[in-house]
Amino acid sequence: MSTLIMIDQAPYGTWSGREALDMAFSLAAFDQAASLLFTGAGVNWLKKGQEAGGIGQKSVDKNLAAAPIFGIEAILADRAACRTYGLDENSLIGGVTQVDADAALLAAYDHTAFAG
Amino acid sequence: MAETASESFTLVITGAPYSSQAPQTALGFAQAAVDAGHRIDRVFLYGDGVHLASALSAPPSDETHWPEAWSQFLTEHSIPGVACIASALRRGLVNETEQKRYELPASNLRAPFEIAGLGEWVEGRIKSTRTLYFHAGD
Repeated sequence: MSTLIMIDQAPYGTWSGREALDMAFSLAAFDQAASLLFTGAGVNWLKKGQEAGGIGQKSVDKNLAAAPIFGIEAILADRAACRTYGLDENSLIGGVTQVDADAALLAAYDHTAFAG
Repeated sequence: MAETASESFTLVITGAPYSSQAPQTALGFAQAAVDAGHRIDRVFLYGDGVHLASALSAPPSDETHWPEAWSQFLTEHSIPGVACIASALRRGLVNETEQKRYELPASNLRAPFEIAGLGEWVEGRIKSTRTLYFHAGD
């Protein structure tokens, strides 16, 4: 049973993305296949060089760096959303695969879920 | 109505009562599912959804008391209700064990809800034939 956890909200303004990440890590910790898909404003999670100390938060890209350790299978970013937010291979953190977030992609997973 | 195969459900509620419709919609679904002969394996509260398990909600008497309505439904049908521990601790929802652990002045978890980890959600999605999410929708 493979699960795609989707994050479609920008980091820092809401906690739901962090809670979605915890869901993905939890699945992986229990040996359930899990991948992450960032869409819409959510692709800003994947921007290099975030400094969130000024707002009293930890940078989300540091949380994400634990994904391979937990056994998350893939970190996917919607190509169109990356273009919208001016993100390319040079401004994205490592380990991200750009994809078209369409019906064919979702059909490759048994389950999809958002945190909120 | 056509006969349908019996399903078992894990319900995940991430929207808080009184700021979202999620707990109300989820309860409507759960009642209809049970009435139709399906089983609710467990209800998992995540994110802002943990506020549904507060014993201290006191809405005006002419409004539906959603935490109480959910508690009664869970008790009546012997359905486990679980609030995610990480979500709950961040939002000030604790049982007596966590009150002692963090030396807090009070506990406020409404029976029959319990506090446990995301593993309960993982197990629910494996066990149930379907897992449904009730979000705040904003």
